Amino acid sequence: MTRYMIRRLLQAIPTFFGITLLTFFIVYSAPGDPVLQQTFDPNVTETTREEMRHAMGLDQPIYVQYLNWIIGNDWMGDTDLRPRKGILRGDFGYSLIEKRPVLDMVRERVPATLVLTFTGVLIGYLVGLPIGVYAAVKQGGGFDNLTRIMAVLFNAVPGFWLSLVAILIFAVKFREWGLPAIPSGGMYTLTSTGVRTFNLGDRLIHLLPPALVLSTGTIAGISRLMRTQVLEVIRQDYIRTARAKGLSDRVVNFTHALRNALIPLATVLGPTITGLLGGAVITETIWSWPGMGRLFVNANFQRDYPVIMAGFVIGALGVLVGNLISDILYGIVDPRVRLE
Amino acid sequence: MFARKKWASIFALLVIASMILSACATPTPEVVEKIVTQVVKETVVQKEVVKETIIVEGTPQVVEKEITKIVEVEKIVTPTPTPLPEGGFVTSVTFADAKILNPILSSDSSSSWVHGFLFEGALNTDPWSGETIPGLVEGWTVSDDGLTYTFTVRDGIYWTDGTQVTAKDFAFTYEALMSGELETPRLSNVELIEKIELIDDMTIAFTFTEINCVALPDLGLGWLPAHMYGDDFTDIMENDLNTNPTVTNGPFTLKEWVKDDHITLVRNENYWQGAPHLEGLIYKVVPNQTIMIQQLKTGEVDVGGVQPQYLVEMELQEHLALFKFFDDGYTYIGFQMGDPNDPQPRLNEDGTLNEAHGIHPILGDKLVRQAIVYAIDRNSIIAKVNFGQGAPLHANVVPAVGWAYNDELEPRVYDPDKAAELLEEAGWTDTDGDGIRECHGCAYAEEGAPLALNLKTNAGNEIRENIGVIAQDQLGEVGFDIEFEAMEWNAYLGVLLGQTFDMVIIGWTGLGTDPDDDLFWKADTDIPDAGFGFVSYYNPEVEELLQTAKTLPGCDQGERGALYKKIQEYLYDEQPYNWLYVPRATWAYNKRIGGVDPGPWTVWHNVHEWYIK
Repeated sequence: MTRYMIRRLLQAIPTFFGITLLTFFIVYSAPGDPVLQQTFDPNVTETTREEMRHAMGLDQPIYVQYLNWIIGNDWMGDTDLRPRKGILRGDFGYSLIEKRPVLDMVRERVPATLVLTFTGVLIGYLVGLPIGVYAAVKQGGGFDNLTRIMAVLFNAVPGFWLSLVAILIFAVKFREWGLPAIPSGGMYTLTSTGVRTFNLGDRLIHLLPPALVLSTGTIAGISRLMRTQVLEVIRQDYIRTARAKGLSDRVVNFTHALRNALIPLATVLGPTITGLLGGAVITETIWSWPGMGRLFVNANFQRDYPVIMAGFVIGALGVLVGNLISDILYGIVDPRVRLE
Repeated sequence: MFARKKWASIFALLVIASMILSACATPTPEVVEKIVTQVVKETVVQKEVVKETIIVEGTPQVVEKEITKIVEVEKIVTPTPTPLPEGGFVTSVTFADAKILNPILSSDSSSSWVHGFLFEGALNTDPWSGETIPGLVEGWTVSDDGLTYTFTVRDGIYWTDGTQVTAKDFAFTYEALMSGELETPRLSNVELIEKIELIDDMTIAFTFTEINCVALPDLGLGWLPAHMYGDDFTDIMENDLNTNPTVTNGPFTLKEWVKDDHITLVRNENYWQGAPHLEGLIYKVVPNQTIMIQQLKTGEVDVGGVQPQYLVEMELQEHLALFKFFDDGYTYIGFQMGDPNDPQPRLNEDGTLNEAHGIHPILGDKLVRQAIVYAIDRNSIIAKVNFGQGAPLHANVVPAVGWAYNDELEPRVYDPDKAAELLEEAGWTDTDGDGIRECHGCAYAEEGAPLALNLKTNAGNEIRENIGVIAQDQLGEVGFDIEFEAMEWNAYLGVLLGQTFDMVIIGWTGLGTDPDDDLFWKADTDIPDAGFGFVSYYNPEVEELLQTAKTLPGCDQGERGALYKKIQEYLYDEQPYNWLYVPRATWAYNKRIGGVDPGPWTVWHNVHEWYIK
């Protein structure tokens, strides 16, 4: 197990560099220019734009910019640029627009994103799992049909539409009708002194609506996956053996069938973890949720290269770690899989 | 403005006085003791007793008769209950968060909005006329040669940490920009400054390298507190103060900033124009337009901009007041006049004309450009695409800059027949009957070449995309073959500045209060990938006029206005752009806020006088 993990970790290193190299060149060669983004303004002259490009190091060859980003430029001696340590030494650089350390910008948005995506996924699993199992056990029944329709709907209806409708009905119309309304966005209500404070009830009422919208996709996916898995497992020989031995339905379904049906979830969990970190940009935008999805999407539009690259690095790490966890979990839940 | 109000109130007093004298039976108006600040027209029901002579059975008799009239009277009101209510927050909503709260590093409108309340500078903009007026300075004098501006800083203004605001702060702010240590769009503000001279603590002189009539507003940036920074300017770019400005001089100070969520500002008790009545302002970020509108409706937010498509919905909201004004910008179709297949700079390195600069085979001809203007129905674009929120424009100066706006240009109103006529004249006729004209004796294209052009805009801007579809359709009717494409913004900017398009739909905003726009027309800005002269316009006479108007000794507004009117005549004739319209913007604000006095150049100028009713 340890040897397997070490091997996987070592394999991850070239993969990581491959990802950064590729994304860096794609990002920097895409059309667009962070300076023009900030200065498409009739009052700014071309001389100013050139000075800005030079100070940001954008006039250097792309491989030099990549090296500066990876290993920094502080050891190079004389240069017009501000000293940077490079990502290998934990310096993700400064935003070209906000002039702040990229890591600070990411760090202050991580909690908001994690709370939202984690709650969404949690609700998705908590609701989707039992629905799938029950639908499989009562295959062909009314509940099975109902949840099938629900899964198709949840998969087909776009989250942004569901969000807008939810806000129009539960936040706007309810307020007009004098019913208890949900907030139409944000993470909290500001206090009378204009600041945020922690109030569990208030946070929950802000968190649950977007989290519920976010969970619909997971509910649909997980319930269908679990239904298929349980159906497959209960046709296996060992289930028949268990029944033949006279075990009760309950024991057969929950002890023998369910545990085996859960195995594929380990595969799904990896990408889910990646998704947790990336944020949910559409949900965040509509519900005014200050998370990372919005940060990275805005950075993309503004060509704020260091921030975009930080997004890719986080994404790459998320994928690598997620897959690693998946593999390890697989080994634990399914002894038939040998890791050596 | 204050003076205007004072005259208005004196006038009102006269009106009232004459009413008292003339109408015997009107009730005595209330005695106004407070400072009178406003005159409102009110409809009131008046009962009057009139004496009438009537003839009853042959004998004239005088009877008294009461009649009821509805009349409009001017009434003096003191709109403010004194003392004004203190406290409360006003929440303003917008789609994008501020980026950086440093007046000399920011470039986006969200950041300027916020740091405008934190850092004031030497100059302000008059909310109604757009003229540059003194802010933290008492005034300024201009030297006889027109090159040196000397400012006197107001006494008795303090930073929030108790340090006095002096000319040193003014000097520091601009010296920082000139130091070469900063990379910021605001470097453009100091390009023409030769030297800054601190005469004493409260007096400072700026000397420019050349006479420039538009240089003064460049000196209006908010001041940084010099005592918070080092002397060598190296600690400004990446200072924590850019995110968390602790020492400020504006009406509000920063209390809390949660990125992409909200910014809370609270009142500065020592603000030089008097502490604001409001406890503070909250700047709330709501990235989705629909939700923003809903929050204005529900009252979750108080102030926000309203896009034209939501205007009707907003007008029905009783708790909202709407303020509409014309923008200092326009939406237009730009015509490429250089060769899009081989974009060249207009000038060589040494400033001589570049012989290799080509001409557009179709749009190089003025008649074709004029025909396009006739062929597109601007009024219907304003009405249908922009929901009536806009005014047609015929040349490069917007009506808001009244002293330079040429109102004598005869509008090229929608006239497809006239367009066809011009195209025939230019040598574009349809001989093969396919509905698309070909060149038969046209100026620059090859004989037989079709009248085919591309039209590009940025995807995601619904208004421009709709204009594109209408233009494609209407130009098709007069024999053009238009290929319309909406592109991703960054790719679009590449095509635009690269000068590889035929026609583009785009707009300028923030043109400001001066008509000077030589960056769009002068030969030295016609550089592929690097200049705003991307339509490759070239006319030495216009160039000369632009230069004269910008560097006119004395900068007399009347003389400059005449020059800009002349420039508009040239541009109107040559149509490098098809000016479509000046958009009308709308601000909605909750009527629970009192003291709001919006002007077209700024809604927020008197925010320290706002209060919650």
